Amino acid sequence: MRISTKERLVTGIGLAAIGVIAAMIWWTHSEVEYANHQRRVTSEIARGLTNLRLVTFDYRLYHTERARVQWDAVSDRVDRLIANARFQAPVQMAILADMLDKRTTVRGLFAEITAARGADHVDAPLDEVSLQFETQLLSKMLSYQQENLTDAFRLNSLATERIIDAQQRMMFVILAGLALIAAILVGTSWFLRRNVLAPIAGLQQATRQVAAGNLDFVLGMPGDDEIGELSTNFDAMTRSLRQSFAQIERSNQELAALNEELKAFSYSVSHDLRGPLRSMDGFSLALLEDYGDKLDDEGKDALERIRAASQRMGYLIDDMLRLSQVTRAELKVTRIDLSEIAREIAESLDREQPGRSVEWAIEAGLSIRADPTLMRIAMQNLLQNAWKFTGRTDGPVIRVGALERDSKTMYFVADNGVGFDMAHADTLFGAFQRLHRVDDFPGTGIGLAIVQRIIRRHDGSIWAEAKEGEGATFFFTVKELEYGSDEQSHPAG
Amino acid sequence: MDQMSKAILLVEDNPDDVKLTLRAFKRNNMLNPIVVARDGVEALDILFARGAYAERAGKPLPTLIILDLKLPRLDGLGVLKAVRGDARTRLIPVVIMTSSKEEQDLIQGYSLGANSYVRKPVDFAEFLEAVRVLGIYWLMMNSPPPERHIP
Repeated sequence: MRISTKERLVTGIGLAAIGVIAAMIWWTHSEVEYANHQRRVTSEIARGLTNLRLVTFDYRLYHTERARVQWDAVSDRVDRLIANARFQAPVQMAILADMLDKRTTVRGLFAEITAARGADHVDAPLDEVSLQFETQLLSKMLSYQQENLTDAFRLNSLATERIIDAQQRMMFVILAGLALIAAILVGTSWFLRRNVLAPIAGLQQATRQVAAGNLDFVLGMPGDDEIGELSTNFDAMTRSLRQSFAQIERSNQELAALNEELKAFSYSVSHDLRGPLRSMDGFSLALLEDYGDKLDDEGKDALERIRAASQRMGYLIDDMLRLSQVTRAELKVTRIDLSEIAREIAESLDREQPGRSVEWAIEAGLSIRADPTLMRIAMQNLLQNAWKFTGRTDGPVIRVGALERDSKTMYFVADNGVGFDMAHADTLFGAFQRLHRVDDFPGTGIGLAIVQRIIRRHDGSIWAEAKEGEGATFFFTVKELEYGSDEQSHPAG
Repeated sequence: MDQMSKAILLVEDNPDDVKLTLRAFKRNNMLNPIVVARDGVEALDILFARGAYAERAGKPLPTLIILDLKLPRLDGLGVLKAVRGDARTRLIPVVIMTSSKEEQDLIQGYSLGANSYVRKPVDFAEFLEAVRVLGIYWLMMNSPPPERHIP
């Protein structure tokens, strides 16, 4: 049975007990009221009868007309009282009937007495026989009246008994009702402990176990009530959690295996793919050196092309490996000075190609939280690109700076070089994608792919704005990753 | 002068690379005798006069070992470990010359006691230069440890 059903049942029984008690109290109350009324009535009858006795004596002493009239009046009143007393119990009704009988007899006797006296000579003395007869009648009448009075008292004590009965019954009902309510309370409490609180404690324990990571915990408290349902659902939940975890574990293992494979692959690429290229280049050079005199220019050119292609493929392989290394490298974020990095790269470019004169405009104090090694690689690629694509520009300028847009800091590297057509901007960051011919501007097309991966690893984004013949600007943002503890105020810029 | 005197042990499985390395030595006028081992086990057999090279007992050890990392049977790092683990060969300079410049190889190579790590470039001209510098340093400039003989 469900707990809610049980709860409803218990509440119903309790309310019913209370209802029974209330009904009993009400019934007893009306019973007592009724019995009280009876008592009042019988008391009044008794008073009337006592009164009648007094009046009877009064008449016997004086035989006055006034006494007779008074007797009649009192007698009528007593009769009325008896007639109006509507009792229901058979005993009472029998007594009442008996009383009425006797009343009739008494009235008959009194009529006889008054008739003997006559209406007008009330005070006239009676002869001895008449007097004796009257006395006889009177004592008979008094005896009846006395019986009537006794009956009235009996009725009165019956009413009192009824009150006592009713009170006893009420006491019994109240006690029984209280006992029932107590039993219900004890039963409910026992049920609560056994069927609700104990399972809840079990559930609590189970949630603690699962929270602590013990997913193998099985509650195992099936039942047809809510707790049973909860327990079943709980076990189902841990089961599906277990399955999900196992699934994740499997996926993780697969991923780890895949990662290992990728590592092995790139290791193998790094070792094995370059070997044949070395042979091609080395033996071409050997041919040129040892048999150069036997080859015409076309033959030499072919060998040179083999060498150039081998070397170019070597660079491509190296770039590919660099790209995968950038993806695999662990991110170590600290606060770094981007301006300083840019200046160092600019100086090394100036040193490597002293023939070129480029104007550098590097904003000072560009502070950024990022991985120093990766960010240096990114800046190296961006600045090298700018350097390369301003190679045919008069008065080349390369600017590095930052600006705020939508409360975000965007860093940029801008040049006034050849630029590119924005129609091809979407292919800009793809690996080995090039927007210029190799003979115009050399390169493998991996640089921007590497830059994009580095920026993405910093949860940032990179995009470019350019115009053909007017230069290009590369913007990037970096999410200020909260690693380490060297949180310091941001220098302006 | 014994054949192994001032000799270089080249541990390399790729015959092309053997040929190119020998050519590079010759072009740089480095006339030291060169012994080639085609795998890691053979290299150790030569060094410790074992197996097919048992008759080498008592002969001097090489002045320099040039070691590739990717080798059949026993890889270069295994050879390096064995060389550094034996008192007889512990002091011989070992130069790792390999295709890879994977960080893990570099770190493991140096931590196992390699003296130098050279990456073979694709461009043979660059390779020549690398071998030249290597030869100048390890064979001419560097004072090798006192000569030892295979027991």
